[in-house]
Amino acid sequence: MMDVKTLKRQILPPLLTGLGILGLFVSLSSVFLLLIGQPPFQIFASMLEAAFGDEYAWSETWVKTTPILFCALSVALPAKLGLISVGGEGQLHIGAIVGTGVMLAMPDSPGWILLPSVLLGGALGGALWGGIPGYLRARWGVNETLSTLMLNYVGIQLVRFVVYGPWKDPANLGWPATASFPDTARLPLLGGSRVHGGLIIALMAVVVLYGLYRWSRWGLSLRVMQSNSMLAMQMGLNYPLQVVLVMAIAGSLAGLAGITETAMIQGRLQMGISSGFGLSGFLVAWLAGHSLIGLIPMSLLIGGILSAGDGLQLFAQLPSSIAVVMQGILFVAVLVALRLSTLYRSRG
Amino acid sequence: MHIRLNGIHKHFGSTRANDGVDLEIRSGEVLALLGENGAGKSTLMKILYGFYPLDRGHIEIDGETVAIQSPRAAIANGIGMVFQQFNLIPALTVLENLLLAYPNSGWWHWGHRAIQRQVLERLRSLAPDLDPEARVEQLAVGEQQLLELIKVLNLEARCIILDEPTSVLTPTEAERLWGLIRQLAAQGRAVVLITHKLEDVAACADRVAVMRAGQVVHPPTPSTHLLESDLVRLMIGQESLSPLPTVRPLYASTPALPLLQAQAVYVRDPHSGLGLYDITFDIYPGEILGLAGVAGNGQPLLAEAVAGVRDLNAGEVLFQGQRLQPGSPLRSQVAYIPESPLQKGVAPDLDLATNLALHQIRDLPFWPHWERQNARATELLHAFDVRPPDPRKPAQQLSGGNLQKLIIARELSGDPRLVVACYPTMGLDVAATQAVYQHLFRHAQQGAAILWISEDLDDLMRYAHRVAVISQGRIIGVQSTPQASRQQIGQWMAGVAG
Repeated sequence: MMDVKTLKRQILPPLLTGLGILGLFVSLSSVFLLLIGQPPFQIFASMLEAAFGDEYAWSETWVKTTPILFCALSVALPAKLGLISVGGEGQLHIGAIVGTGVMLAMPDSPGWILLPSVLLGGALGGALWGGIPGYLRARWGVNETLSTLMLNYVGIQLVRFVVYGPWKDPANLGWPATASFPDTARLPLLGGSRVHGGLIIALMAVVVLYGLYRWSRWGLSLRVMQSNSMLAMQMGLNYPLQVVLVMAIAGSLAGLAGITETAMIQGRLQMGISSGFGLSGFLVAWLAGHSLIGLIPMSLLIGGILSAGDGLQLFAQLPSSIAVVMQGILFVAVLVALRLSTLYRSRG
Repeated sequence: MHIRLNGIHKHFGSTRANDGVDLEIRSGEVLALLGENGAGKSTLMKILYGFYPLDRGHIEIDGETVAIQSPRAAIANGIGMVFQQFNLIPALTVLENLLLAYPNSGWWHWGHRAIQRQVLERLRSLAPDLDPEARVEQLAVGEQQLLELIKVLNLEARCIILDEPTSVLTPTEAERLWGLIRQLAAQGRAVVLITHKLEDVAACADRVAVMRAGQVVHPPTPSTHLLESDLVRLMIGQESLSPLPTVRPLYASTPALPLLQAQAVYVRDPHSGLGLYDITFDIYPGEILGLAGVAGNGQPLLAEAVAGVRDLNAGEVLFQGQRLQPGSPLRSQVAYIPESPLQKGVAPDLDLATNLALHQIRDLPFWPHWERQNARATELLHAFDVRPPDPRKPAQQLSGGNLQKLIIARELSGDPRLVVACYPTMGLDVAATQAVYQHLFRHAQQGAAILWISEDLDDLMRYAHRVAVISQGRIIGVQSTPQASRQQIGQWMAGVAG
């Protein structure tokens, strides 16, 4: 039996915070829906239905969740060193470019060579795009938030360049896209749906990184560096090296989001491979308080909201951007509720 | 003003911080509240200041029972307190900080001439050499403390509580503060001086009350009626401290090669504007080199340079003939006790077990044995009397003295070949100070080289083999201790070469 005191101290506060988030989210988005002339509760119901209603809805939600989870990892990992990276979007695009380049260079190789090479290419591309701001930060103290933000635009425009220019496939009759990925370059699908093996890779990445962070010497050194970087250097830890390393690992994960999304969902490199996954990943990392395990449920939640938006567009003829607005409202609701609960608790 | 504390009880969890304390505070008198770390002195005074609510007991002011539920209520009753942590805004000037804390002033008082004049007058009478236009970030610790004291006086406090005020001061600054405290008492104010230093009692207290384990073990007595040895006995509750092992003699026949050599070291610190110039000295195996000097002459810089945690601008530090510098593997044989433990010695939000393993972080296996680390931490915490001995507690929750003990435990528990200790007994009481000395001497006897930076000239002359004096970033002179002249060292400390 749990006594009343523990109940009051340990169970009640998170419960109240959760209820606060839900209440804020529902009331704020109701206001928004009423403003655009939609019945709030009907929309909520159909969104729930579209996100988690049946097997198809679940599979579409997992499809959206996969790149978001990758991108969320690419934000949460640098945050363990106190770095704020907003570069998921750019790393995702460069990962897609390099991975696609590998595919275009050797489209006829057997699958057991081609598939790992394509994935590795995607990871390396992302690692490069994360490693550059990491190096700038470590070497000259350049603000990583600004450099990752700016490199996003470079990454997106590089995709535009290659699909309109050198890699445009003439077989597409003028449509700006590369040649399609052969089946040998694709990950297996799960259970006959559109959910692909990228989800498994993302989940494994979460578990491995969590284990390393929690129990290994490497994780310990990251914690020490975040707590007191001056002391960490005195103890002989190489802080600059770790900054580059962590940013590169984070970038490689976002790069995997890019290449899996391109190869599995789009089937070829073209504009618009990402519907704001980098930003969603950033929100997810903050919603989860940069807890690595917490990224999984939060990604699923945001993935659900985004896939519900697509559902609304298909079935209710509403713009899918409603979902993007609601994602923003959720973020605000969580931040406000968490802040209020800390204020309340510190007052005792 | 006459304050009477009657039967004050206060507990935190299962610890009884105050266990039925009676105390009397009178105007025109300095009462020293003496006791070791954790004796309950600060808690008692924080109750009087309305910072903590009391569990049982009551407070009388001039015969009337009062309820002091907040610092605001305490101030209204004429009670003011200067804490160990200062509450100043570094980017503002002295005058601005004083005006900001001025009572009942509106939001627009910068132009208020009358208040300004009053504040300036008080500033001039108490600290004539403090420039009202200087930014607080440029002030020395002693000057900042003075500013806090003036803030309290501006609140028209008639009873002033000072929490360990001299623990952060240089000897000269402490002397000035003692004078000020006497002056305040002569003006008819009541002053309570919380301290664990016997010299504070001797210098300025009228009466002394000794606290131990939450109780007043000796009722307030005129301080002249007690001998120093009586006070120590009362504070630590045992007849006498075990005598310190002597470190002498340092055998003349020890290997003639110095263990540590500093050669023409030149360091410039852009943040503080301080520097080290042409520092050259050797330390032989088993030798304790004491470094004396007035605070603010570059001691922390020298410690960092010698311990190999700071890049030198020129010159070199050789340890066993090899260059000691940041990132060098030799660092694992160096124990370094920095001067500000919270900023430079610990990872504040990580637990004690982690903090105790920090210095060997590069030697841990990739998957450390956390159970073993925790067991080792618990052992060390008990051995070095860190309270509470809970390896899961974040370091930032420890009090200053316990934080210092934590760092001592980490650095001096191993088998270092070089010990660099910068004010290692800062904030420690008599018993803990003795323990630190014992560890230092043990390492010296085992052949380590020791650089010991201290402000306690008596102890340096008693226990170090040689005493060097630093002034304005230069080693101005070195003397071997049995023959050392106190007068000569004092002159060097004042910056007079020769």
